[in-house]
Amino acid sequence: MSLQELRNRLDNREIGAVELAQDYLNKIKSRDGAVNSYITVCEDLALEQARAAQAVIDAGSSKAMTGIPLSVKDNICTNGVRTTCASRMLENFVPVYDATAIERLRAENFVMLGKTNMDEFAMGGSSQTSYFGGVKNPYNTDRVTGGSSGGAAASVAAGLCAAALGSDTGGSVRQPSAFCGVTGLKPTYGAVSRWGLIAFASSLDQIGVVAGSAFDTGYVLNSICGYDENDATSSAKAQGGYTELVGSDISKLKIGVPKEFLDGSSGEVKAAVLKAADFYKSLGCEIIECSLPSLEYAVSAYYLISSAEAAANLSRFDGIKYGYRSGLGESFNDLIKNSRREGFGDEVKRRIMLGNYALCSGYYDAYYNNARRIRTQIRREYCEIFKKCDVILTPTAPTTAYKIGEQENDPVKMYLADICTVTVNIAGLPAISTTCGYGADGMPIGMSLTGRAFDEKTIIAVCDRFEREFDRKECGK
Amino acid sequence: MRYQPVMGLEIHCELLTNSKVFCTCRNEFGGGANTRVCPRCSGMPGTLPLLNKGAVKLAAKAGFATNCTVNNYSAFDRKNYFYPDLPKAYQITQFESPICTDGYIDVVGGKRIRINRIHIEEDAGKLVHDDYEGVSMADYNRCGVPLIEIVTEPDFRTVEEVQDFVIQIGQRLKYAGVCDARMEQGSLRVDVNISIMPYGSDEFGTRAEIKNLNSVKSIGRAIEYEIQRQSEILDKGGKVMQETRRYNENHDDTKAMRSKEEAHDYRYFPEPDIPPVQFTDDEIEAIRKEMPELPHQRFERYTAQYKLPEEDARLIIAQKEFSDFYDEAVKITPEYKLIANLMLGEISHLINETGADITEVKFSPADIAKVAQMAAADTVSKGSAKEIITILFNEGGNPEQIAHDKGFIMDNDADGLDGIIDEVLKANADAVEKYKEGSTKLFGFIMGQAIKACGKGANPGLIKKTLTEKLK
Repeated sequence: MSLQELRNRLDNREIGAVELAQDYLNKIKSRDGAVNSYITVCEDLALEQARAAQAVIDAGSSKAMTGIPLSVKDNICTNGVRTTCASRMLENFVPVYDATAIERLRAENFVMLGKTNMDEFAMGGSSQTSYFGGVKNPYNTDRVTGGSSGGAAASVAAGLCAAALGSDTGGSVRQPSAFCGVTGLKPTYGAVSRWGLIAFASSLDQIGVVAGSAFDTGYVLNSICGYDENDATSSAKAQGGYTELVGSDISKLKIGVPKEFLDGSSGEVKAAVLKAADFYKSLGCEIIECSLPSLEYAVSAYYLISSAEAAANLSRFDGIKYGYRSGLGESFNDLIKNSRREGFGDEVKRRIMLGNYALCSGYYDAYYNNARRIRTQIRREYCEIFKKCDVILTPTAPTTAYKIGEQENDPVKMYLADICTVTVNIAGLPAISTTCGYGADGMPIGMSLTGRAFDEKTIIAVCDRFEREFDRKECGK
Repeated sequence: MRYQPVMGLEIHCELLTNSKVFCTCRNEFGGGANTRVCPRCSGMPGTLPLLNKGAVKLAAKAGFATNCTVNNYSAFDRKNYFYPDLPKAYQITQFESPICTDGYIDVVGGKRIRINRIHIEEDAGKLVHDDYEGVSMADYNRCGVPLIEIVTEPDFRTVEEVQDFVIQIGQRLKYAGVCDARMEQGSLRVDVNISIMPYGSDEFGTRAEIKNLNSVKSIGRAIEYEIQRQSEILDKGGKVMQETRRYNENHDDTKAMRSKEEAHDYRYFPEPDIPPVQFTDDEIEAIRKEMPELPHQRFERYTAQYKLPEEDARLIIAQKEFSDFYDEAVKITPEYKLIANLMLGEISHLINETGADITEVKFSPADIAKVAQMAAADTVSKGSAKEIITILFNEGGNPEQIAHDKGFIMDNDADGLDGIIDEVLKANADAVEKYKEGSTKLFGFIMGQAIKACGKGANPGLIKKTLTEKLK
């Protein structure tokens, strides 16, 4: 059921908000044990919010999100509800403030079912680095969900919420959406305030939406987007109206397909994406082969920039003011060192070391500064493509979801799997991923549509057009 | 052997904004520990800095006050290091692109000291160590207090140049409303980089950085100690280490804090949470137009326009409030020198004696203007003027009323004096005789007798004039 239908049924009293929330809470109870998509389930809070939402609905003053039950990724601060970033470091951290996105949803009386599992501090593409255990793919629980918003994607795929808030730094909304067979939207950098999003890489992080359809991602984005004085990098250009073009004629659009993305993908992924291109062609869209020559440097640039920023962003977790504190050591230095050693997982430590290394004097120019140059170059190349195309079609990931444990010992291989998603973050553009086929293993294949900055409307409409014709397999809900 | 010292300064100044630089906590001194702290300035996860535009403007004004270029583009960076008083474990500062560059100030002897840059940054908190309990506590009130750091070139060669520069910086920033420049409270903090080299050499030696200097006097003493220390090392054939040293006021010496090897690699990189600060030329010009008169400009006005002696001008401008008081008074009564004399004489004397402050006295600039006006018009004598000021200082009141009540109004009736003075001359015929024979010293004696005879209300100027005539 789309969020619009849900809205109508709530407003027409065909369903009650409390009953709806309770239904989801029951499903979480019975099914999430197998998936592990939630770290914290907010049963009392959700029911209380649902009662408040019902009162608003009864008063006839409901808004778009009133009574709609969402899951929220556990790196988005929620006042009074612990926000762990799936880390031992923040196992018991309870923020005293809401992220702006949450504040805006609360203002519309949404219902928060709970906080979803993820890779620790959003670092990873498998959702296996969580201190609270890995997330399992609802399509096949032997498989990973992708990450880092694996909990968000799994909670949507398994029907454990109506939609989910995630965050995307290098593909963390789109890639797990692809792996779990749902739709994930990463908005333009600055479209959603980052206030309250626990920072991984500040110049790349963006709150996004995972939902059952392109329309639904736009529907939620309408309620959380826009300028926020608490985030100097947020933009007034994000004005809402993201579902406006859904259903409109897209046959005049030009769709670019950059060859480099297909070259690095598996045969079945490549075939599924090309089939989607054919679909658009059949509608009358012009398919243009284009090129992003710097793609080969993108993963390196991404890991240097994101790790450098992460190294600084995660320095505040020192055991002094909040979070995990080691009982070992006599001096400040010991306290800080031991708290970080015990509080962070391996992947987080790896990124911190990588980031600090890239920033050290002597290496700064070779690593960090070169990464900045590549970033500029990638932006330039996107500008060139968007002179000829309206939307860019690529795979979301080179493969389908792999088996849990398969890539654990090869971080470089895992990093390289981000190749299809990171350029969008580097350029600050919006992109949406949806299912465009299934692999021989039965797992969903994802395709991504990337748009011009602040032109989420177009990619949502183009994505929706495909979803109308595509027969998406529901997983065992 | 005697060596040539070479010095450069890094001066941190707290900006006089209402709120902190990246949050809305009040920017004040003192108060209970952690009473001015919010999620932002205590570095809670998920929070973001919110740049205080007022701080940026004050930093630009500091640039104008020191002949700097205020740049159209400046940007923030992160300086990374772990310390419990730094909640984010990085300090937001300006590294690559500071707001102001290329300034200068002329110091004693007409020497020009070049300023390399002025940048904006945030202050850290404070640790309080309780040795009795064996614990350390963090107070984050000072976290995020806006600072500017002024960095000079190594242009100083004498203690006097350094001290004059620091005094001038303090005065200029205070006049510009940028900083209250209270070294003892730490709102202006000076680090001295110092090296020595043989006279005649142009190759700088290895420098040491001295921190913790909280008065102009301790700057002088620390430099002298450091010159001595480094000279002894070189004399013995040793090498000066590049290191950071802390000045200890009680021992009057400097102690090593950390060596170059222990120095941090701060891993600076651009702050992604704050967009760069961009000013158009018009915006920069608009800030420049807001600049008030600076102390050196006031000095010019006092000496060129008011014809005050340089020493008087220097003394008046030394404290902004004092100088403002003077300006208010001369605006009402343009007796520049007379008011300067009253302020630097009796008023300064009373203030220094009682430890009072010019902003808290019981009289107004208008009162002093009135006293000056009465003295200038010979309505009261200069001596009475001082007495009126003492009364105003102690009790307050209306200067004219005081003059009346105390019988300070002078009798300016020359004809009336004539007879009395004739009597005095007659009564002191001997002295008059000797005076006329050349004992000019006796004028004072005769004058004294005349004043006594004329009584309290008489005008001494008039008496002197009449007497001079009659003794010709």
